[in-house]
Amino acid sequence: MAELSAQASHAAANSRTRTMPEGLFGWLLVGPAMLFIAVIVAWPLAETIRLSFMDAGLGGEKYVGLANYEDLADSRKFHQTVVRTFYWMFLSVGIKLVLGLIGATLLNAAVPGRALFRVLVMPPWVIPMAIGCIGWLWLYNGYFGVLSGVLMKLGITDGPFEFLAYKSSAFYSAVVTDVWVGTPMVTLFFLAAMQGVSRDLYEAAWVDGAGRWYRFRRITIPQIMPVIVSMALLSAIFTFNSFEIIWILTEGGPRSATTTLIIDTYKVAIGNYKFGEGAARAVIIVILLAAFSLIYLFFLNKINKRYGAK
Amino acid sequence: MGRSDMMDRYSKLQMVGIYAALAVFLTFILLPFFEMFMASLRPLEHLFRSPYQFWSDDFSFQAYKDMWVTVPLLGRYIFNSIFIASSVTLITMFFVVPAAYAYARLQFPFKNITLGIFLGVNMFTGAVLLIPLYRVLRTMGLLNSYWAMIVPGVAFLIPTGIWLLRSYLEKIPRELEEAAFVDGASRMYTLRRVVLPLAVPGLIVVSVAVFIGAYAQQFLFAITFNQTRELQPLPAGLFEFIGYQSVTWNEMMAAALVGVLPVMLIFLFLQKYLVAGLTAGAVKE
Amino acid sequence: MKLVIMTLGAALLSGAASGALAADTELHFIMCGGEVRAADQAVVDQFEKDHEGVSVNLEAVPWGTCQDKSLTLAAAGDPPSIAYMGSRTLRQLANNDLIVPANIDAAAPYQPGVMNTVTIEGTQWGYPHAFSTKALYINCGIIEESGQECVAPATWDDMYAMAKGVVDNTEVAGVGLSGKDFDNTMHQFLNYLYSNGGTVIDGATGENKLDSKETRETLEFYGKLVDVAQDGPTAWERSQLRDLFNDGKIAMYVNGPWGHGQHNEDINQLVAPVPAGPSGKSGSILITDSIVVFKGSGHEDLAHDLAQRITSGDSQYDLDSSWGLTPILDYTKLGKDDPYYNDGIWPIFTASISTGGPEPLVEDFKSLQSVFTNMVQGIILKDDTVDNLVTIAAEELDDAL
Repeated sequence: MAELSAQASHAAANSRTRTMPEGLFGWLLVGPAMLFIAVIVAWPLAETIRLSFMDAGLGGEKYVGLANYEDLADSRKFHQTVVRTFYWMFLSVGIKLVLGLIGATLLNAAVPGRALFRVLVMPPWVIPMAIGCIGWLWLYNGYFGVLSGVLMKLGITDGPFEFLAYKSSAFYSAVVTDVWVGTPMVTLFFLAAMQGVSRDLYEAAWVDGAGRWYRFRRITIPQIMPVIVSMALLSAIFTFNSFEIIWILTEGGPRSATTTLIIDTYKVAIGNYKFGEGAARAVIIVILLAAFSLIYLFFLNKINKRYGAK
Repeated sequence: MGRSDMMDRYSKLQMVGIYAALAVFLTFILLPFFEMFMASLRPLEHLFRSPYQFWSDDFSFQAYKDMWVTVPLLGRYIFNSIFIASSVTLITMFFVVPAAYAYARLQFPFKNITLGIFLGVNMFTGAVLLIPLYRVLRTMGLLNSYWAMIVPGVAFLIPTGIWLLRSYLEKIPRELEEAAFVDGASRMYTLRRVVLPLAVPGLIVVSVAVFIGAYAQQFLFAITFNQTRELQPLPAGLFEFIGYQSVTWNEMMAAALVGVLPVMLIFLFLQKYLVAGLTAGAVKE
Repeated sequence: MKLVIMTLGAALLSGAASGALAADTELHFIMCGGEVRAADQAVVDQFEKDHEGVSVNLEAVPWGTCQDKSLTLAAAGDPPSIAYMGSRTLRQLANNDLIVPANIDAAAPYQPGVMNTVTIEGTQWGYPHAFSTKALYINCGIIEESGQECVAPATWDDMYAMAKGVVDNTEVAGVGLSGKDFDNTMHQFLNYLYSNGGTVIDGATGENKLDSKETRETLEFYGKLVDVAQDGPTAWERSQLRDLFNDGKIAMYVNGPWGHGQHNEDINQLVAPVPAGPSGKSGSILITDSIVVFKGSGHEDLAHDLAQRITSGDSQYDLDSSWGLTPILDYTKLGKDDPYYNDGIWPIFTASISTGGPEPLVEDFKSLQSVFTNMVQGIILKDDTVDNLVTIAAEELDDAL
């Protein structure tokens, strides 16, 4: 400590930041990041909002007020897309959280070889999503994918089965791939959280005769609940906007079975060059996500109170 | 000490159960890689063999040799991927560290609103903002260069970085900072010499997470903002295996696997620190 | 290690110096198809030799993303100088003032129907560069294995019976059916529609004629074919079907003349005209791809020069014969006495030029494609009745026009 203060005194001689008000220092630190974001993201964002009020295409733009939004409100197809997107999100995130908990528990278990297993869990997270999806494309193919081959060998189907060619199977296949992409990260964060739980708590319960399942339910889950909750929100946002996975697998088909809001937006804006209509959809995505987050955080507050805050 | 070890002892049956569950879990995780590997071994003419055959006499590693010929820039693409991801990570962390510290420790006007705005940026994907973003990059003269892929990457990763690092920095005991302050240290000094060394586990974790994020999202930015072949990262480069006549799937799979190998190796080295970092962080929000 | 340092240095330099090379003129040439054909490359090389200080950045982009890429670039203000694309994009490009009209020699002897695909209300917007008609390829080996005679089926009923025979007696699928959300699904469907006397858009009046008895018959036939086709047609498009054909997994499918050379040598192929439906004669869809010159590149004259060279009689002949395309010009009028298309399988492809129908030329070709994809996928997935699907498709087509 003495050494530290000696150095500190030296440093104090040439430091203006010591006497700088806290607020100003705060902005000094945050400023660069904000500026960067403002230039790279804020302007395109503002532009997108502006475009949503236009009928904009390759040939120019024309102000139309709320017309784009009205069209969306009237479109039954759009309502279906919204519902489908939320279903997609809840299903995929739900599975990811459950699998993440199971995986983290398994990896937390004191069995030999667990270091190796932990490393083996990481690849889907580490590799570029595009590459992983290409692997899944191969798996889902009816003619040369192993999944279809297994189905045939087991006698469940009597010919090749194209997973991505039928409406339900395409949707659930996309969910499986999305879960595959997201589970490792969730698992690892849960694992870290579990390892942070104090051993004393477990010992105390064990001494009192509590079994594994009890310890899991009454100690582990409550202790890592904050992490579960924050991962859930982060995962929900990413899953809602999950684009590459669906695009590479099905491009939203067949017959819109896998078209979520982000796919629809991309198709309209980049595929059909209807920038105004695409922009309106993009704005709606943001509004929906923001609303969802607010509702979620509201319940989060309640949960924090129930399980006891930090 | 002896007694509590008993708590971790599993019965034989439980051990078997755990290993079985792990096997199923890992099979799910690793299946696509296995399949990609199998595909890379098949000769092109028999690529579409059905019904599915597990093994065949004409499997070989030929594709691994051929792929360097079919796509001569393959090595360059792998390098590009790593270079871009590393650059993104370095630059992002440069912006993130001070900002995360500010959100963790300091009070300043509009603090909560700006934090919310950063989270809001997470809610977009680049996919939505592509065309206006293209125009911004074009105006700045950054298209068709490495910057074209680095700049959007940084912009979309800064918010995540701030969010993740903030929770780690909050855990560092305030007393240490206050002591330094009392001894006459400036704020910057405190940040650099006191806080950062203690935050190393968190820094590592967040850097790795940012690197992975950068590595994973290269694809979209690369295909939209960059036309120059020599600068393309691996996922975009893989599309060169798609020719007019057909897709040389086996070589594409081989290239994909080889391409991610360097990152996997780096990861292997870092995983010890990563788990330690995650633990030390003990992410209790 | 040295290589790494060098590439790193080069990378930093190229990043910094991207704007500095303004001295030479560079034409950005987007070539759809993912591969640069030798005949085209030769013309480009000669062009560069003849024009000093001019270079051509020839970029090959696969069909799936190519047209989007060119249009996105143009929309963002950075158009390519010249591009080779499907003629279906012409209307949208022209209506949005992104391209300039083509200067085509009026005397050039194009085959009947070709100029229609590049002409909008009297102005020609593209230089036709590739032409195709379609026919039915049949694997005689499989047909004979199923106990049938390998002859060209003349009607739809014949074709269905042949396919059924294959399915009943062998492990192979009878027909390769495409239903993927891809442009050639619409083409595949139109082959049958035009073999049944159907029309999409009336050539003279521009009226939407999709809602008709002929369309219903075609859609019903397409739906019937699902029973004798490979599994999950909505995941397949034409080039994948070709791979299946090569692997002996389907007995027949429809493709263009280039398919013949792409099929494995050990397959005994029979090429037949597309079978005729109950209401029409055997026909085919006529598709052209053309070269377009973009507006605003600053060197449109050079671009026109390159376009004319690459589509001129001799270069075009080289391309057509080497790549296996239906002849786009009447080469006998250009002095070639023994053109490549007089024998072999060619007469089948040239015969349908006069009976075929064009790919409809609309502004919003993406929506046009969706109309057909929806209709075709609807019947493949048995989502709705033939009647409803056709009615809905016709309505959607009205919206797209």
